[in-house]
Amino acid sequence: MTAPLSIGISLRGVSKSYGATTALAGVDLDLYPGEVLGIAGPNGAGKSTLVRMIAGEERPSSGSLTRNGAPWSPYDDWHAVAVVHQEPQLFPNLTVAQNVMVGREGHPHRLPRLSAPDLAVMQAFGIGHLRNRALGDCSLATQQRTEIARAVARAATVFLFDEPNSALTSEESDALFAEIRKLAEAGNIVVLITHRLQDFVRHCSRVVVVRDGRVGAVLTGDTLSEDHIARQLVTDSAAITAHTQTASTPGTPVFTLHNWSHPRAFRGVSLTGASGRIIALMGVEGSGARELLRSLAGLESCSGTLDIAGSTGQAARDRLTAYVPATRAQSLYSNYTVGENLLVRLGKPQIAGFAMALRKRQMRQLATGAVQRFKVKTGSISQPIRSLSGGNQQKVAIAQALIGNPRLTLLEEPTRGVDIHSKGEIYRLLHDYVAQGNSVVIYCTEVLEVFEAADEVRVMSDGQLSSPLAIADITNVEDLASQIIHLESHQRSA
Amino acid sequence: MADTPDKPLGSPGGGAFSAGKATLDLALRIGGLFAAIIAVALVFIAINPAFANPNLGVSILRSLSSVAIMGLGLTIVIVVGEIDLSFGAMYGLAANSLAVMWIVGGVPVYLAIPLAVGLGALVGLFNGILVTALKIPSFIVTLGSYNLLYGISLWITNTGTFNPAYPPSGSTVDEGQLAFFVSLTQSVGAYRMSVQVFWMLGIALLVAYLLHRSLFGFRLMAIGGNPAAASLARLPVRRYKILAFMLCGALAAVAGILDFSFIQTTQPDIGLSQTFPVFAAVIIGGASLSGGKGTVIGTLGGALLLAELQLGLALLSPGPHVQQIFLGAVTIGAVALDLYLTRIRQRRAA
Repeated sequence: MTAPLSIGISLRGVSKSYGATTALAGVDLDLYPGEVLGIAGPNGAGKSTLVRMIAGEERPSSGSLTRNGAPWSPYDDWHAVAVVHQEPQLFPNLTVAQNVMVGREGHPHRLPRLSAPDLAVMQAFGIGHLRNRALGDCSLATQQRTEIARAVARAATVFLFDEPNSALTSEESDALFAEIRKLAEAGNIVVLITHRLQDFVRHCSRVVVVRDGRVGAVLTGDTLSEDHIARQLVTDSAAITAHTQTASTPGTPVFTLHNWSHPRAFRGVSLTGASGRIIALMGVEGSGARELLRSLAGLESCSGTLDIAGSTGQAARDRLTAYVPATRAQSLYSNYTVGENLLVRLGKPQIAGFAMALRKRQMRQLATGAVQRFKVKTGSISQPIRSLSGGNQQKVAIAQALIGNPRLTLLEEPTRGVDIHSKGEIYRLLHDYVAQGNSVVIYCTEVLEVFEAADEVRVMSDGQLSSPLAIADITNVEDLASQIIHLESHQRSA
Repeated sequence: MADTPDKPLGSPGGGAFSAGKATLDLALRIGGLFAAIIAVALVFIAINPAFANPNLGVSILRSLSSVAIMGLGLTIVIVVGEIDLSFGAMYGLAANSLAVMWIVGGVPVYLAIPLAVGLGALVGLFNGILVTALKIPSFIVTLGSYNLLYGISLWITNTGTFNPAYPPSGSTVDEGQLAFFVSLTQSVGAYRMSVQVFWMLGIALLVAYLLHRSLFGFRLMAIGGNPAAASLARLPVRRYKILAFMLCGALAAVAGILDFSFIQTTQPDIGLSQTFPVFAAVIIGGASLSGGKGTVIGTLGGALLLAELQLGLALLSPGPHVQQIFLGAVTIGAVALDLYLTRIRQRRAA
């Protein structure tokens, strides 16, 4: 263990556990003033816990933080740290100037006035002329600048940018990174967290990869490339489950998509899904991949033709597709039991008969059958849904969609925040389901999930879909990661 | 994320849906409410043994009937996650429009009653469409229609009072029709129980079927519990919300007509003051304003507890202020107790 920095922030042996779950297992990390440090990591690797720790939103279970050689607690010294989120955490009902001042209004009884130093800060960030505008009426880029200006005005010296540009245009994004570099050049400590690997390469001098609660790799100089980061993100992952894909021959087409266009997100997409195959879509936020998945379920209005099992139109989509959103908060009903949650998408004749009367016996049989088929660990079907573990809740969310026998099931990040064991079971469920002549499309943000779950992957970039990549041809996850990066950068340059 | 222990499953058909943990919680909640009803009755009887009188019980049941009928309609709306403030004004408009159609306009009562009930459903349709299509919060829509409906009542009655036994000069009321109208709520049996109580029980059975035994209620609770998930799962969210408002409006109209039949007079402002007691009955009955929770038996129990307190305190006659203070205290107390018990249960489950 090296000595803490005399100038800068040092983390030594920092750990954090929540009950039996270990989020961080001894992190050693140095943050130097004047550089932009990138922090990368797959979901659930501890990246967000680490960021919350530096932001003072969590206290470490063990280990130490020092700043300029002395013990430091961002929890108490929160004024020094600023976090700029993807969605600014501000007050849309107040003006831009009031947002910069809030918390430091000065006099307790008088309406606060903008001080000269605050105005100077706002002008430096190009928002001085907007000072009397309601923040809610301003663009996202302006809101982020307001958030940065607010932090600078209150003399923050540590800046954490959490996916700051995922909803910005490329011009706005360039302008933001110019500000980020300026902050670093002024001697602040600046950290960037993003899913866009090219932003790490372009804007950071050093990138640490967090894996399994530790710093897995530090990339600088020549090793700091998209390909290296992508490989490091998936390498040696303890979370990997067996790569079960065999080179199965695709069956008959379940759905065909032709010249499919969205008003904003993508244009002229064509895609065919065969029975027995799981297709993964990848793409950063704003690439159009998520919108494409939702449009297949009829949740985004698009033009073009979508043929599912020989039928077209919204009615066919309603009848033949099912969609599972990324968060369980959007698929489970906390006022309902496990059994009711499993059956809630069904109707006549499965769970109701004459005069809409519920068929209680049928419901019990269906729910009990589903609990067994989908391997939901529950004491009984009449337990509250919240009493289940996260992995089992996720199984219920997926079972709820599959139980209606759709031909095409669309899932967003199906194993996000799920333990390894449940993850493997969920992949097996999906394979069993497609083996019965159905098709699955999943939207993934993690290469590992693509490797474990899918038969083929397509990468979306700026509204264009890449050619497919067959997973069975790829022997290890690092190669898949670099091929995906290759596809994505190829798309970008095209 | 600790896994739950891998227990064997309840055998199919073993009553898992009816005797589960969630159902047990509900049984405790309802059991507590009825224990409170009995305890209050015992306190009143202890104060004055003359209260142990079946005639008083019958009187309580009659007086809670219209509160319960409106409360059942409100329960449906609250279960789907919305709010209706207009049912009290609808109660008044139903009675007044019936009076004007029948007594002044000469429309036969057999036709005027279905028309008035239909008007209630129409007002519900109006509320429901504004809430679902224009996305105006239901609190605002129904606050508006509350005033709108009261305004219409004032307008069509010309701020007057009506009694079918004493029609205004120039109008006549058919004897047979009057007898039919009175018979809707006439008293029968040894204890002179009003037929209105049976109307209320019949409606309660119907609503219990809808809410607890039909696909309609199953989906209604889902929509109220998680509207975002329901629309992603393509449940008929808009249609069910509109239907909930229509049922609430129609049931308020039924309550207004039955009370008119029993009391025999109607004024433009009747029903308005019922709004908050009905809310109190539904909330005491365990329905959650955040949606997805509510039962018929709970709402009936809430109405019963309120009617019991009201009559008991009126007879003890410590003054009208005591009834109001009790109404407030019981409403807040019931919800506070509910939250406290829920927290204890969750802590024990965790």
